[in-house]
Amino acid sequence: MSKTKELARHKRDRTWMWIQLLPVMLVLTVLFGGALVLGVAQSLGFAPWFGVNTFPDFSYFGALWGDSFFWRSLGLTLYYAIAATLISLVMGVLLALALVRSFPSKSLYKYLYKLPLMIPYTVGIALAVIMLGNGGMLSRLMAFAGFIDDPSQFPQILKTHMGWGIIAVYVWKQTPFVALTIYAVLLGVGRETEEAAAILGANKRQVFFQVTLPQILPGIISSTLIIFAFNIGAFEAPFILGGGFPDTLPVVAWRYFNDADYTLQLQGMATVVSIALVAGVILYSYLAFYRRYERRIGRH
Amino acid sequence: MARKSASIALNERLSPYQKLYLLLIAGFILGPFIPLIIQSFAFRWAWPDLLPGTWWLEQRERAVLPLAWDYVISPYSQVWEATLNTVFIGCVVTVICLFICLPAARVLARESFKGKPAFEFFLSMPLIVPEAAIGIALLMIFINIGLAGTYTGIIIVHLIPTIPYMIRMLTAVYQGLGRDFEEQAMILGASRWQILRMVTMPMLLPGIVAGALFTFLVSTNIFLLTFFMGQGKIVTLPTLLFSKISGGTLDASAAGITLVVTVPGIILLLITERFIKEEAFGKGFGN
Repeated sequence: MSKTKELARHKRDRTWMWIQLLPVMLVLTVLFGGALVLGVAQSLGFAPWFGVNTFPDFSYFGALWGDSFFWRSLGLTLYYAIAATLISLVMGVLLALALVRSFPSKSLYKYLYKLPLMIPYTVGIALAVIMLGNGGMLSRLMAFAGFIDDPSQFPQILKTHMGWGIIAVYVWKQTPFVALTIYAVLLGVGRETEEAAAILGANKRQVFFQVTLPQILPGIISSTLIIFAFNIGAFEAPFILGGGFPDTLPVVAWRYFNDADYTLQLQGMATVVSIALVAGVILYSYLAFYRRYERRIGRH
Repeated sequence: MARKSASIALNERLSPYQKLYLLLIAGFILGPFIPLIIQSFAFRWAWPDLLPGTWWLEQRERAVLPLAWDYVISPYSQVWEATLNTVFIGCVVTVICLFICLPAARVLARESFKGKPAFEFFLSMPLIVPEAAIGIALLMIFINIGLAGTYTGIIIVHLIPTIPYMIRMLTAVYQGLGRDFEEQAMILGASRWQILRMVTMPMLLPGIVAGALFTFLVSTNIFLLTFFMGQGKIVTLPTLLFSKISGGTLDASAAGITLVVTVPGIILLLITERFIKEEAFGKGFGN
C-alpha cells in the first residue's frame, strides 16, 4: 500500500519537474525547431507563399555550392572567425593571468577592461572607423610622424579582404570576454596546486603548461566555442568593414534576401543552412576532440 | 634555494611585462574613445590635423550647442525613440526570461534525471548556433505570420540569446542556495507558499537581480536579430548606430550617437560590478 503511495508521489514529483522545465523548453523548441525545419524545407524548394513548391529540390544547394564565389565567401568567413578567436584567446589568457596578480588600482582596472563587453559591436565598428580608416587617427598620426602626406598613401586597413578592421573589432570585443571567463576559472581553482608545483621545483613555464593550462582548459574551450560561433554568424562588422564581393556568408545570405528577385530567397536560405552546417561540423569536431583529450588525461 | 625559485614562480606581483601589457590593453580598449569624443565636439576636423581646426566654441554664433550634440538631442536623430525602444524591449525580455527560466533553473540545480546533459546542451544551443542562421530563418516565419516589424516579434527573438545566460546564472544561484533552509522551514510547519516567499525568495534575490541585469544587458546589445526582425520600423540604439555608420564613415553626429550608445553600457557596468561576482560568472561559463 505504502509502496504504491510512494510510487504515486514519485510520479507526481516527476510530472511537477517536467512542468517546471516546460516553458523554457517550449520557447526554444518552437523557435529553434521552427527555424530549423522551415529553413531546411525552404532551402530544398518549399515556399508555397511565393508559389514555389518543388520540394525536395537540391538545385539551390547545387547552384550555391557549384559556384566558386561561395567557397571564397566560406574561406573568408572562416578566416575572420578563426583569426579573431585565436588572437582573442591569447590576449585574453594573458590578461587573465595578469589580473589574478595584485596590483594598485586593480579595482579600477576591473571596471575598465569589461567595458567592451557591455556595449554593442556597432560601437566597436565606429571606433574602428575613426581609428583605422584612411582619414582616421592612425593615418593622421603617421602623417604627423612624416611617413605619409596624403590619406590615400595610408595602407588600406578597412574594406579589404585581409579584414584587419573586422578582426580588430572582434578582438576588441572578445578579449575581455575570454579574460573574464578564464579569470573566473582561475579564482575558482585557487593557487594551491600552482604553489605545490612551484615548491616541488617546477619553473614558471612548467607551472603554466602543466598545472595552470589544464585547469583553465574548460574555460578556454567554452569561451572559444562561444566567440567562434558568434564570429561565423556575425553580420554587422563584415557588412561595414568588409572588402565587398565576395562577402562573408551571413552578408551573402542577407543580400539574397533583400534582392528584388524574391526567388533568390531560397538560395539565401540555402546559404543560411550552409552556415549552420559548417558551424555545426566545426564545433562538433572541436568538442569531440576535446572530449577525447579529457579522457586521455583521465578527467572523465 | 628551492624556496627562492618557488617564490619566483609564484610571484603575487606583476612582472614588468605584465604591467606594460595591462597598459597596452587599457590603451587598446579606451584609446579609440578619445578621438571619438573630440570628433563629437569638432566643427571642422580636416586631415591630417591631430586636433580639429575649428571647434564648436569658435562657432557659437552659428549654434549654441556643439552641432553634433544639437542633432543628437533633436527628434530628427531618433536617439530618444531608440533609447526608449531599447529600454522597453530590454525590460520586457528580462521579465519574460526570468519567469520561464526560474523554474527550469531550480530543477536543473537540484534534480538529476535521464537526459539531463542533453537537455543542458539543448539550452546552450543558442550560444553556438550562428545568429545569422537563426535570424534569417525566423524572419521568414515571422513575415508570414505578421510578427516582423512588431515589438512582439523582436521581444520573442530576443529570448533566444538571453535564455542560456539567464539559465546558467540562475542555476548557479540555486546550486549555491542548498536545500537545507527550505527543509528546515518545512519541518517547522511552513507551507509551500510561505517557504517560497519567506525563505527562498530573499536568498535568491541577489542572484535574480544579477541574472536580470545581465539579461537586460544582452538584450540591449543585440543588433542582428533586432535589425532583421525590426524591418526598419523599430529602431534600437544598436540598429540606429548601424544605419549612421553603414557607409563606413563617421561624422560628428555619428560620433555623438556612438557615445550615447555607450552610456547604457557604462551605467550597467557600474551596477553589475556590484551584483555580479566573477565567481558566479565563472560558474556559468567555466564548463
